[in-house]
Amino acid sequence: MSPTIHWLENSFGDIHAARLVLPHGSAMDPADAAGLHQLLAGSLTRGCGALKAAAFAERIETLGGSLRSDTNDDRLVLALKCVSSDAAQLLPLLLDMIEQPHLESEQVRLEQDLNLQSLQRMQEDPFAVAHEQLRLLLYGTGSYGHDPIGRREDLAAMDPDAVRQAATALSCNAAKLVVSGPLNEDLREQVLKRMSLWQQCGGDRPTLTSPPNDRWSGIDVDTEQTVLMLGFRTLPINAPQALALRLLQVHLGVGMSSRLFQSLRETHGLVYDVGAELALRELDSPFIWHLSTSADQAVAALDALLREWDEVLQKPLSQSCLELACAKLRGQEALGRQTGAQRAERTALCLSLGLPMDYHQQAMKMIERITADEVQAAARQWLRRPVLSACGPSSSLKALEAHWSQALMDQPSAAVAR
Amino acid sequence: MDSSAELRPCLGYPAPQQRQLENGCPVTLLPLADASVACLQFWCQAGSLREQTGQAGVAHFLEHMVFKGSEGLPAGAFDHRVEAVGGQSNAATGFDDVHYHVLLPPEGLPLALELLPRLVLKPQLQSQDFQLERQVVLEELAQSEDQPEEVAFQHLLALGCGSHAYGRPILGTREDLQRMTPAAMAAFQRTNYCADRCAVAVGGSFEPEAVLQQLELGPVGELPSAMVSPFQPRGLAVQPGRHQLRLPRLESARLLMLWSAPPAASQQQLSGLDLLTTVLAEGRSSRLVRRLREELQLVESIDLELHPLEDGSLVVLEAVCEASQLDAVIHEVEELLVQAAAGVSPAELERSRRLLDHGHRFSLEAIGPVTQLLGQSTLTGRMQGFDAPLQRLASWNCDALQPLAKALDPSLACVLEVRPL
Repeated sequence: MSPTIHWLENSFGDIHAARLVLPHGSAMDPADAAGLHQLLAGSLTRGCGALKAAAFAERIETLGGSLRSDTNDDRLVLALKCVSSDAAQLLPLLLDMIEQPHLESEQVRLEQDLNLQSLQRMQEDPFAVAHEQLRLLLYGTGSYGHDPIGRREDLAAMDPDAVRQAATALSCNAAKLVVSGPLNEDLREQVLKRMSLWQQCGGDRPTLTSPPNDRWSGIDVDTEQTVLMLGFRTLPINAPQALALRLLQVHLGVGMSSRLFQSLRETHGLVYDVGAELALRELDSPFIWHLSTSADQAVAALDALLREWDEVLQKPLSQSCLELACAKLRGQEALGRQTGAQRAERTALCLSLGLPMDYHQQAMKMIERITADEVQAAARQWLRRPVLSACGPSSSLKALEAHWSQALMDQPSAAVAR
Repeated sequence: MDSSAELRPCLGYPAPQQRQLENGCPVTLLPLADASVACLQFWCQAGSLREQTGQAGVAHFLEHMVFKGSEGLPAGAFDHRVEAVGGQSNAATGFDDVHYHVLLPPEGLPLALELLPRLVLKPQLQSQDFQLERQVVLEELAQSEDQPEEVAFQHLLALGCGSHAYGRPILGTREDLQRMTPAAMAAFQRTNYCADRCAVAVGGSFEPEAVLQQLELGPVGELPSAMVSPFQPRGLAVQPGRHQLRLPRLESARLLMLWSAPPAASQQQLSGLDLLTTVLAEGRSSRLVRRLREELQLVESIDLELHPLEDGSLVVLEAVCEASQLDAVIHEVEELLVQAAAGVSPAELERSRRLLDHGHRFSLEAIGPVTQLLGQSTLTGRMQGFDAPLQRLASWNCDALQPLAKALDPSLACVLEVRPL
């Protein structure tokens, strides 16, 4: 394997966008160092090559460019956007960040402190609190079990040496660079030449631990609403049933015609915000059904969610629902590739996950052949073990917990789905 | 019926066509040869600014109600039909206006032109739907009140803007929402949704005359002209002062500051203020971020945003820090703001100009935001070339910018210190 570069020339408006994707997401965080890779990603923007931290920021800002460096669960992503005339100056900086990051202790400590403060502020948001607990229920304390930003104790104890150590693995042969914008042949050659020297292997891929036994988490906060998250640990993005499950998620949670929106909001008026997300990942992807509702309606809302859950296990989608889901997925695909940055990001992530470059186009053909029975089979395969995370006033939590244990004991759906 | 100004092609786009329906409703069209996406935007000057006393939240509640069914379009039918062709729709209510949009593959545009006007302009406002949707709006309000940051921000606006509509939450108040009736909402709708207070913008691959005809023959073409006298602006003046607030479930302290700025129509002045706020707080090289976050490490973040508004714009500063650092943060912020009155350097000005210039270019890359820009400019009657903001930015020099900094003097701000309970 060697690092690859793709140049997407079909662009608009003399803008260059680039995504450099590395296989060093937060799933690679060591067991006692949750947040290490996000800290690394942030620290990469704090000086490299000939530029100290302040000079690096100034170089990009004086050119009116935008640069981000972040991790998601699977990958570390450097993102650049600039006007085309600046591309030759700015694109090489992405490589400098990987090849010669400074990672001075003072700068890493600053980034670490900022991340700790962000973590603290996230506790103000009941959705963030519920989501944090849901990750633990689905994945335990290992990979995928924490937000990329990390866990307080781990992050507080982290040493800049650990960040510097992790940085040495970045210049690897699994790196994928995708650039969108008018082709600059010299620049392409220059970047290719440098990246071809990145010959380290990307390292062992992370593995997941089995889910913990707990199926319930309730965090007591003094809010008006209670947040509910019903979660399922499902399949990797390259699994055969991934598209069938994606169709189910679109049916349940995408757009105002979606099943959860229609049922919980339009028919019952229980919620303002309701949805279903399936973030397809390298390993077991989380499928999350979420809502928030006034605390005194929380049990009714849980009941409504459980009815929907039962429904997708018991009955295949009607033909019209399946067609609607396909149409929505095609629309999402078309509307989600409007900017060069969107196209570069999609392409780079596909390549990095070992999928073909035109994975999304292929997928649009494949969904045409997926039947309602196959969608139901995917639901029965992957949605048989729900967990529930709630965040709200204690009164609602007691009622929810009781209701939830009862539901798990009865578990008619899981019995059918065995 | 053309009222076309001299718009030129620029930044990769043809000149937008400014047209008008028989009833006076302005329409702007941006036909593009091979656009892969089409966008329809409907704008109306029916934001919360137009609400009467006792009606807080009606503009936003009405935006919800239109999706509950219109003449010939039962509840849910609009969403279903738009999404079945791969489209997405949404709506947003602001202080000054409300807008609805549909983004979809090009072949779906005639459908959007058929459905969106009917959805927005012929709402049924049936009593049972009204009761049910009120619950949804109250849930939306509860959700926002569970975010301490939102609560703090609303508090700031109330303190700074007093009885002006900008001081009220767009979502409204529980009391007013509970008392609201379908009849009162219908009256609000009739008063505000008039031909000369609405605007349409369309971007994508289409035949202009066909689009115009479809609009002319539908509910937009049937809109009456205004029946009441034009809106009289009050003019917003932020009340300076210092206030403190303690909030439960707040993890980090906040420093919030609010200033008045010229109204949205004063585009040249606002362009200068944009440059100034960028010099002060956009990026790590900006004065406030560099000093407070990078050097002194007093804050997690610090932002300074200009919000252009028709009845007087607002500038908002937000700093997030440990409660123990709040006093030091206030001291530093005030000192840097006072220093700013001495002027900015050419390098600072150039950095800011580029950031804003490129930000504008980036925002023109997708059809959705471009059509949105056209919709808003059509509504406000400030249609101009896509490069006009770039020219305004380029027109400023350091000397010209210097007097503007006085507008951000700490003594003119409404200041709110927010600490955890």
